[in-house]
Amino acid sequence: MIHAAFLIPLLPLAGFALLAPLGRRIGNPIAGWIATFAVGGSFIVTILVFIGLFQQSPAHSQFTQSWFTWFDVGHLNVNAGLLIDPLSMTMATFITGISTLIHLYSIGYMEHDKDFSRFFIYLNLFVFSMLMLVLADNFVLSFLGWEGVGVCSYFLIAFWFDRDDAASAGKKAMIFNRIGDAGFLIGIFLIFQRTGSVQYTTVFSRLGHVGTASLVGIALMLFLGAVGKSAQIPLFPWLADAMAGPTPVSALIHAATMVTAGVYLMCRINPILHLAPDAAHVIAWIGVATAFIGATSACAQTDIKKVLAYSTVSQLGYMFLAVGSGAYVAAIFLMLTHAFYKALLFLGAGSVIHAMEEDQDIKNMGGLAKLMPITGLTFLVGWLSIAGVPPFSGFWSKGDVLENAWALTPALWAIGAATAFLTAYYMGREYFLVFLGERRWVEAHPEATEPGSAQYTSRGVHPHDASWKMSLPLVVLAVLALFGGFVNLPFHPNLVFLERWLNPVVGATVRQTHFSVGQLWAFSLADAGLALAGVGVAAAVWRRATDRPALEPRFLFMAWFIDWTEDHLVARTGSAFSSFTSSVIEARVVDGAVNGVASLVRGTGDRLRKVQTGYVRTYAMGLVAGVVMLVAYLLVRVGS
Amino acid sequence: MIPTSTVLGAAGAHLLAATGIAIPHINYTTLLPELILLGGMLLLLGVSALSPVRLPTEAYASATIGLGTASLISSLILWRDVTDRGPFSTIAHSIEVDGFAIFFLVVVSCILIVSPMFAAGYLRRSGIDGCEYYVLALISGAGAMFMASAGDLILVFLGLEILSIPLYVMAGLDHRREASGEAAMKYFVLGAFSSAIFVYGIALTYGATGSTNLATIGAFLAHNVLTSNGVLLGGLGLMLVGFGFKVAAVPFHMWTPDVYQGSPTAATGFMAAMAKVGGFAALLRVFVSTFPSLASSWQPIVWVMAIVTLVFGAVVAIVQSDAKRMLAYSSVNHAGFVLLGLQAASARGIEGSLYYIFVYSFLVLGSFAVVAAVGGADDDRHGIELFRGLGRRNPVLATMFAVLLLAQAGAPFTTGFFAKLYVVEAAVDAHSYALAVVAMGSAAIAAFFYLRLVFLMFSDSGLPIVTQQNLSTAQATVSEPLVELPGSSLSPAYASPGGGVATLVTPSATAIAEEILDTQITEANEEAPIAVSPWVISGLMLCVGATVVFGIWPQPIVEFAHQATLLF
Amino acid sequence: MIAAASPIVLTGVTESQRAFPYLTTMILVPVAFAFATMLVPKGQRWAHRAMGLAGSFGVLGIAAAVLDQFQAGDGGYQMVSSHALAAPIGLSWSLGVDGISLFLVLMTAVLVPIALLGATERTNTKAFTVWVLLLEAGCIGSFLSLDLLLFFLFFETTLVPVYFIIAAWGHERRGYAATKFFIYTFAASAFMLVGILSLVFIHQNQTGVTTFDIRLLAQTHLSGTADVVLFLAFTAAFAVKAPIFPFHTWSPDAYGESPAAGSILLAGVMAKLGTYGIVRFDLGLFPHAVVVLAPLLLTLGVIGIIYGGIVAAVQKDLKRLVAYSSLAHLGFIVVGAFALTNEALSGAVLQMVNHGLYTAALFLLIAMIYRRRGTFAISRLRGLQGSAPVMAAVFTVVMLASIGVPGLNGFIGEFLILAGTFLTHRWWAVVATAGIILAAVYLLWAYQQVFHGKPNLEDEEEGFAEITVREGLVLAPLIVLIVFLGVYPKPVLDRITPSVDQIVLHIEHAAHPSIPIEGQPGTAALRGGATVVVHTEGTK
Repeated sequence: MIHAAFLIPLLPLAGFALLAPLGRRIGNPIAGWIATFAVGGSFIVTILVFIGLFQQSPAHSQFTQSWFTWFDVGHLNVNAGLLIDPLSMTMATFITGISTLIHLYSIGYMEHDKDFSRFFIYLNLFVFSMLMLVLADNFVLSFLGWEGVGVCSYFLIAFWFDRDDAASAGKKAMIFNRIGDAGFLIGIFLIFQRTGSVQYTTVFSRLGHVGTASLVGIALMLFLGAVGKSAQIPLFPWLADAMAGPTPVSALIHAATMVTAGVYLMCRINPILHLAPDAAHVIAWIGVATAFIGATSACAQTDIKKVLAYSTVSQLGYMFLAVGSGAYVAAIFLMLTHAFYKALLFLGAGSVIHAMEEDQDIKNMGGLAKLMPITGLTFLVGWLSIAGVPPFSGFWSKGDVLENAWALTPALWAIGAATAFLTAYYMGREYFLVFLGERRWVEAHPEATEPGSAQYTSRGVHPHDASWKMSLPLVVLAVLALFGGFVNLPFHPNLVFLERWLNPVVGATVRQTHFSVGQLWAFSLADAGLALAGVGVAAAVWRRATDRPALEPRFLFMAWFIDWTEDHLVARTGSAFSSFTSSVIEARVVDGAVNGVASLVRGTGDRLRKVQTGYVRTYAMGLVAGVVMLVAYLLVRVGS
Repeated sequence: MIPTSTVLGAAGAHLLAATGIAIPHINYTTLLPELILLGGMLLLLGVSALSPVRLPTEAYASATIGLGTASLISSLILWRDVTDRGPFSTIAHSIEVDGFAIFFLVVVSCILIVSPMFAAGYLRRSGIDGCEYYVLALISGAGAMFMASAGDLILVFLGLEILSIPLYVMAGLDHRREASGEAAMKYFVLGAFSSAIFVYGIALTYGATGSTNLATIGAFLAHNVLTSNGVLLGGLGLMLVGFGFKVAAVPFHMWTPDVYQGSPTAATGFMAAMAKVGGFAALLRVFVSTFPSLASSWQPIVWVMAIVTLVFGAVVAIVQSDAKRMLAYSSVNHAGFVLLGLQAASARGIEGSLYYIFVYSFLVLGSFAVVAAVGGADDDRHGIELFRGLGRRNPVLATMFAVLLLAQAGAPFTTGFFAKLYVVEAAVDAHSYALAVVAMGSAAIAAFFYLRLVFLMFSDSGLPIVTQQNLSTAQATVSEPLVELPGSSLSPAYASPGGGVATLVTPSATAIAEEILDTQITEANEEAPIAVSPWVISGLMLCVGATVVFGIWPQPIVEFAHQATLLF
Repeated sequence: MIAAASPIVLTGVTESQRAFPYLTTMILVPVAFAFATMLVPKGQRWAHRAMGLAGSFGVLGIAAAVLDQFQAGDGGYQMVSSHALAAPIGLSWSLGVDGISLFLVLMTAVLVPIALLGATERTNTKAFTVWVLLLEAGCIGSFLSLDLLLFFLFFETTLVPVYFIIAAWGHERRGYAATKFFIYTFAASAFMLVGILSLVFIHQNQTGVTTFDIRLLAQTHLSGTADVVLFLAFTAAFAVKAPIFPFHTWSPDAYGESPAAGSILLAGVMAKLGTYGIVRFDLGLFPHAVVVLAPLLLTLGVIGIIYGGIVAAVQKDLKRLVAYSSLAHLGFIVVGAFALTNEALSGAVLQMVNHGLYTAALFLLIAMIYRRRGTFAISRLRGLQGSAPVMAAVFTVVMLASIGVPGLNGFIGEFLILAGTFLTHRWWAVVATAGIILAAVYLLWAYQQVFHGKPNLEDEEEGFAEITVREGLVLAPLIVLIVFLGVYPKPVLDRITPSVDQIVLHIEHAAHPSIPIEGQPGTAALRGGATVVVHTEGTK
């Protein structure tokens, strides 16, 4: 069964290859169904391969399936092949699974869009790239997927290309990613130089020869890639803008899958991180800082999707905190559960936006829970799950992370815990403002719609749950968000399924925490307490009120002005500099030199021409002068 | 042939025995090319004088072509003799018969074959279609041949004059145009001046070495070491001036633009080719074969001369607005290239120079032929702007001109490229790298004005090209004639002793000049197609054909030059 | 002394003399068709175009045959043929193909028909066809010449057709652009000519043989200074031709003012004459100087990458933008060439082909836009994707290839170059890698300006025609190659690398004679010790 692995990425690729030329003709909704089945098929194959791998003994749970030599020059031999191991299969499983659900959801969500088929072309291509990223057996092929998902996210963010904000957001995402990718590339070069290979297994087997300095360099360079892709400080601003894309895209790419690629990469190179603890510390601190800044920023957002976006940033920070603390299992665990509840939240937000005729301002909503029971209920599940209220999945995964953070340094735990509280709070804020309280949309809506924001029609809105295509994914994800935590229960060594499953990959390097049962209970109670506190505060503050300026400072609304600073410091100075280079250095200096020589020659010619007076006497004089000079020279020669 | 010649020789001896002058043994067959030209020339004169009807110019032209062909054939026969028996000399070693000389005999014959084709139509148009042009051409051709094969400085001087005097007359052949007379006057005055210097050079050399015979001088210098060679060097220097004048090397070039511009265009082409051929033939022979021992002294001079000539010619040419003046300066630039070969003072250098001269003759003849064709009935429309749109008015003419210009620029797969390559190769071989680089650089500068002409020909006269060059051209079109006016007043003025020339501006000259200016401006974008006689076309065919064929397949000419040098 | 006409002595190249002279034919076919086209009377446009296509497709056929005959794994010259042309000068007609020239020739053979098909010149198609065919002959000749002088001949020949193509069919400032291009490159190659001749005479003094055959000249023993000076003389010509910063300023004018076909061939093929010259002659003839001066050239290359990107980012004209972007891409090639590792050099050679393909495609697309809107001004184009989604898609693919997105051909070349450079010149590689960010910046910006957003009102009613079938067919082969070379470059690299290995080995041996000739090249000291696996940490 394992040998069917090649089908996993190939099916979405096939879907892309089929739709790219014909999608327009196949049209709506068949194109959507084809795409969905392509991904669904690859989900099924993944399950089969998963089972096949599960049956292997942990010792032999690693397979490489080599397709062909991509390129092979000098010592640089790059394969096109897959690495099938517990880690990659875990990723592949939830990627294909969630992708299938979101494809299904999108059929409903995009049904009125004129570019329906193009959307699914991109989605399929994205799934293919994402699967290549996680299944590749070497850094370069992973980089192919890595760039592929970046490009797809560019396509999908700028999907409504006639909206300038969308177009710019897409470009911004791509460029921020490129910055990270440059780091990724340099990391690969360093790996190749030090180990002479780019094959994961070979590289890891040769780390013994590599000095610590190089390892730290490699780790940090690859982490730079991760920072770009996974929206960490300082490269996170693109993720907030990315919300300009269709909501399913936000759910799939900017919550569940692509943005977690960085975490996957860091887990994949756990042998390197293990040997480069300094790098690990950097990762942990950047992670926790991002988590905190993301969470605080989420507290002040008014756009239903922006809240989720910053929440994602924050959650990704948690994952890197876990990676930095050497808790790779915890990182994957959180990634998994986060994929469930964040996708759920986004899709929920999507159907809300749908219901609100594309208005995304939570201040204009309220009281939707009764009118949209499914959405409201599933959103509630998502909220409690991300808040970390037991027994929802978030509780288990986040707890796992925080324990390990404590094991590294309690300071990390403290910030992480604060963030956990904030998480419960800002999601509570969103839930109350959207689903409870009095309905602000009926009258508030018309003014609230600034011109150009989406296809607003002046007729009022009639919120209602969407078709089954959109509701079914919500329900499924809600179930996963509710019980997803049970894949890794801390109570008993036999219950940590995920940890045991991933052991072949990370077992050697994962941090072993030795907490007494008492400590474990203390951690759990603290987590639960923080979560409930957050929920409680949210309820207290936002059940009645609709805005509390004191709690929504502009500083947080602007996400600590980080985007603003980067824009002014880097982007604007950069463009100023380049126009200076082009208009002055290029035009005046470099090209000026060339034209200068030309005009110099012409000028000399003009001056010399004056010699030609037309007088015979001048000419005779010239002759004589020549004679004199010549003879003078000769006499000098004779003299010497 | 030998018996006849000996008979002739015996007869001559018997005839002159009484006078008591011991005349040397003369091998007349070796003089056949020269004799053919001179005899033919006398024949032409006689016929034109005696014939009751006024013969058409084409008749003279074909006659000249015939004579040229004859001398070509006889030269080739000589070539065979030389290759069989090796070089030899006659008339008391005053005539050298070697590959070097014969190469030039061939070149001269070719010029005499081609130039009448261009002249015929032109002369009829300008109403000067007597036999004069052809007669003059034949004489100066013979002069050039003498210079090439001269083994004695006296003969070199004779050749020089025989070559030059007809050219002076040619320059003034077009009696209708003031400019023509002016050109003749200038050319003559300066020519005489330089000849005087040249003779003085010969005298000094004779004083220093006791002989005017090159072989003797060579032997003398080989066997004796001069305690003070000042006199000899002085003579050498003055001779260099004389040659430099003929080949238009800076600073002895100053006559060139005015004379080229003033002379009837058909004559200009001929003069540009013939003067250089003769001048360089003697220059190379005298300096490289006779004074190699003094090379260390004269090479630096030639080095400087070459650099100045290359740069000056190219740089001044690009600001010219008159095609004839531009070509004049470009020919100065070419002279610089030939000097490269001389400066190398090596066999390779001579090869290069020979090859270059051969190639150049065809290029310059063809180019001036086109200019003449464009010049119109009264040979006055030479403004560069007037070439605009030639590509449509007469595509064939324009294309051929383009080829000739590109060849002069040194475009690959034309003889021009190999010519430049050959001399530069020689320079590099002689380790004068700077000279080589300067030469190529000047070629790049020169490429600019050749291309400008090409570009004009093939760009429609409708929209003007917006480039600084054209701006400067426009200005030049205005300024140029004004600069020239004082010159055009010279012919009457010069006779009066003691300068004060500038005051005597004859109104007629001014009028003409301004009229020329007007016509140029008014007719700038006139679209009359240009008719060209089959004679000219076939002549151009020859030039362009030689340029392209030997450009793609350089072997024959290269080999010819090579052998010529071996049999030196 | 008298330089006797020396016979051209060749090192063991008598084989395949009697085989069919593919290479010679490949040069003569376009020439023949050019002359044939001249005979076709004016005005019969279809006939001229037919002749042009017949000729160029003929070349393509022969090129395919050559590819078929070519033995992969043999790094030496193949299908060599030599005949003396002008003995006294030492010029010989000797041609040969190896892994480095093979694909450049193929690329030329592919691009010329495309350029002819993509060309929209309606005026005087006769002359146009003739010039393009002659240009093709010149380029292929330069790629195949084993004789320095013959190379120089072809190298210079290419100037004339390009001059006329720009001057006769170009845009407003064509006169200026054409002349600037011609003079600049012509003046630069003056140095190369002198260099060539000096090299030949040095060789002649050592061996008594007058020859321009690079296989013999490569064995010349050069003193340190002579080596460096000659290297610089050669590089002057190539640096202008490529162009390399700061000798590039003719290219924006030339690319910008010339007609579509001109831009395609200029950027696609002619630029490669420069980089090919660097690889073939600089690296092949002056190994010592290369080792000494590599840092200089690497620096210029890297500056070109960054500088080109920076300047491209503020261009107002699509063609000039592409011109500056190719300055950056050629910077990569130069870096790859002077990193002196197998990976980088192979990458550089491959990248020459890649750049030719996607730049040609870019210029074709720009020409299609121009045909519809009559402008290259970025500011006057907007929201085209709405009315021409297919063209937008094609443009996107080409753009991504040029940005270097993996899966398309641009990536392979850049990755090999950078990875290989990193081995020997880490910091240059790092800065160059930053260049790939800039590529994304200016191209995505341009794409957003032109294809995204809402079209202006007046454009709205004017509309924008979708790509036609004919245009699609012209573009198709390029797109196919872009994707194919991105997914499966192995067959190409397998033919490139053996020749590259020879060059690298040659240089390493010259730099460190201690290194034994045999054995896998590239492992040697040139990699600064910090090489594969074994005791890497030794040198830090």
